[in-house]
Amino acid sequence: MVASLALVGCSAGSKTNDAEPDTSLTVGLLATPGNLDYTTTAGAAIPQALLYNVYEGLVKLNNDGKIIPLLASAWTVSDDGLVYDFTLQEGVTFSDGSPFTAESVKFSLERVKDNWTANGPAYLDPIDSIEAVSDTEARITLSKPSNSWLFNMSGPVGTMFTESGIADLATAPVGTGPYTVSSFKTGDNLTLVANPDYWGEAPYMSDVTLRYFTDATAQTNALLSGDVNLVAGISQFQLVDQFKSNADFQVLEGASTGEVTLSMNNASEAFSDVRVRQAVMYAIDRQAVMDTVNSGFGLLIGSMVPPTDPWYDASLTDLYPYDPAKATALLSAAGVSDLTVAFNIPNLPYAVAGAQVVKDQLSKVGITANVTSLEFPAVWLDDVFKNHDYDMSLIMHSEPRDITAFAAPTYYAGYNSPAVMAKFAAADAADPKAYVELMKEATTTMAEDAAADWLYLQPAISLADADLVGVPKNTPSLSLDLSTIAR
Amino acid sequence: MVLVVVRRIGVFASTVVVASIVTFLMLSILPGNAARIALGVQATEADVAAQTAAMGLDRPAVVRYLDWFGHVLIGDFGTSTVSRQAIGPEISDALGITVILVVTSVILALLFAIPFGILTAVRQRKPDGPILSGISQIGVAVPGFLAGMLLVTVFAVTLRWLPAGGWVDPGDDFVGFIEHLILPAIALGSVQGAVLSRYVRSSVLEVMREDFMRTARAKGLGAGRALFRHGLRNAAVPVMTVLGLQIATLLVGAVVIERVFSIPGLGSLLLDKVALRDLPAVQGIVLVLVVFVLILNFLVDLAFTLIDPRLRSTA
Repeated sequence: MVASLALVGCSAGSKTNDAEPDTSLTVGLLATPGNLDYTTTAGAAIPQALLYNVYEGLVKLNNDGKIIPLLASAWTVSDDGLVYDFTLQEGVTFSDGSPFTAESVKFSLERVKDNWTANGPAYLDPIDSIEAVSDTEARITLSKPSNSWLFNMSGPVGTMFTESGIADLATAPVGTGPYTVSSFKTGDNLTLVANPDYWGEAPYMSDVTLRYFTDATAQTNALLSGDVNLVAGISQFQLVDQFKSNADFQVLEGASTGEVTLSMNNASEAFSDVRVRQAVMYAIDRQAVMDTVNSGFGLLIGSMVPPTDPWYDASLTDLYPYDPAKATALLSAAGVSDLTVAFNIPNLPYAVAGAQVVKDQLSKVGITANVTSLEFPAVWLDDVFKNHDYDMSLIMHSEPRDITAFAAPTYYAGYNSPAVMAKFAAADAADPKAYVELMKEATTTMAEDAAADWLYLQPAISLADADLVGVPKNTPSLSLDLSTIAR
Repeated sequence: MVLVVVRRIGVFASTVVVASIVTFLMLSILPGNAARIALGVQATEADVAAQTAAMGLDRPAVVRYLDWFGHVLIGDFGTSTVSRQAIGPEISDALGITVILVVTSVILALLFAIPFGILTAVRQRKPDGPILSGISQIGVAVPGFLAGMLLVTVFAVTLRWLPAGGWVDPGDDFVGFIEHLILPAIALGSVQGAVLSRYVRSSVLEVMREDFMRTARAKGLGAGRALFRHGLRNAAVPVMTVLGLQIATLLVGAVVIERVFSIPGLGSLLLDKVALRDLPAVQGIVLVLVVFVLILNFLVDLAFTLIDPRLRSTA
């Protein structure tokens, strides 16, 4: 028995010493895609695997969150901000052989309105018309100027499809990217192989296997035992320390766009008074919450804006410092005593842990929070998100630039400020400089109004073999960009 | 004889039908909408309504049930609302993996439990009897996932002899398949083995007290031979009953080990599908489980008749 184990052990987890470089990569991830079609299925898992790797758009976001050319090698914008002229890359083909031209741009963007139900089809609403000026020139005219439009085009909704490749989006994606999908088994793994006909620079890694784990410890054990080379995005930060002191591995800390939000139902009886919401802001010690839930990893923020957005304002973090005395004063000024609130959270580990700390801190100012843990996604989406049946909740909002969605009066947060909505609309239509200023003003007003308590920004922490280079550190977009990873 | 078979099939069929109706009803009263889950927190109500219609979830319950069950009867388990693929192959893949894992772990468990249980029973009055009994008690108390995590920490992370998890098809790479099977099978089998050894022990102790054993000894047979020739067949019956129950529970109960070792088995599939409210898939899995358990019970009954001739005439 021992002899056979030893025999078997020789081949398990050993590193080969070939002269040829090892161009295969195995990545350990947590959330698995249900299928491969992000046009009708939401969630970060599908774009994480496919965006920029299999599907490409006219532009993409680099790891610092800047818009850079992709299928469009260059573009110009008219002075009135309405007409975008894109010059397209030449010699690009989809993985099924069909050519990528301006007609593909027209086809892909025009089908969004009637065929997409997920990943923000409304982002393309500003488009008035799309013209294929020539094979390599596409002109997109907007009905009104929109500063956010090009940023949104760097996401899934701007990616290019071919008419011959949309028959089976759920299982066989056809894109122009550096990789193609060779196999997919939900809950298990997704394998990508380098596209030999890729128009751009071939990626270093020729074979990538994305392995999906449900248990965070199993994910890191796989790295320790050599089964995976990279763990992209961990959720249990207390596991990080063992890697920091280990020379065989590297720890990469970057910024994400995930704001862990303590929402207060502005439309409920308890939180319709801004003074009560502000009292909650003063009563919560966000550093303590972050220390408990995230072992101290993360960044304190004062609004729903991460540092990678141009209108980030660090001073907002100090708008509501921890001050229980002030909280109690505000509550009595509002004429509220012995307040009891329904704190309905999703049954996710960070929410359950964070809710306990919040509940404890609120009890010190006389607010009783009754914590109910709801099954996520099914029950939380129904009860809290759709029916707004809650007073407080705790969840991470991870889409880039989702503050404008959060501010909508029909959103579950219940924040209703026509002035702020008008300012967001004005910002979108303004010139680029005024855009940043107006966005800053609108987000500051939301923070002053205590629309919600943005507890902290989730860090993007990845663990990798020491010999990997070019591993994306930040997550400014939904993509896990594999093209830069090398050994 | 024919009547018995017909009656058996009748009971089987009606059990399956009732199980399908009960599952369907229970799932339809669960809160949560598969369309909303698919579209997430960016969805508008209009999007969700459109998706609900596209998934056929807005039809009346009776229509949905008959449509589903009708297709099942001709072997079509329908399409998953999540993966957009046929459910049948998803279930059979997961079932195949779980069956291999469970059967291997049961074999390992029996290899331990039978000799250990008999030894513990036979040595009961000797000083080492209670010690042996204590070992099996500890085995029962240790949860399977803890055993799994300890095995991973020692053999995969520290010694790097075996992989930390994952699954390889025996057809693709047989050596890899064995490597990936060893630790989870031991983790799953260790607890079962401890539990089974308790049953073997108590069963053997009971049999040793029987009159016919005393007769066998009186006729001149040694203690060991008496146990082997006459005792074990009687001791086997209660152990087989428990074994049948354990296998039935493990088909889905192995889910914790599956999570620790990232094995795409039936328990994980069921858990994932329930969370996503993929109702056709959940209904399909439950139905398959019901059929499986019924077949398992039938096989256990059959085994009884083989072991105990007294049961044959009433089979």
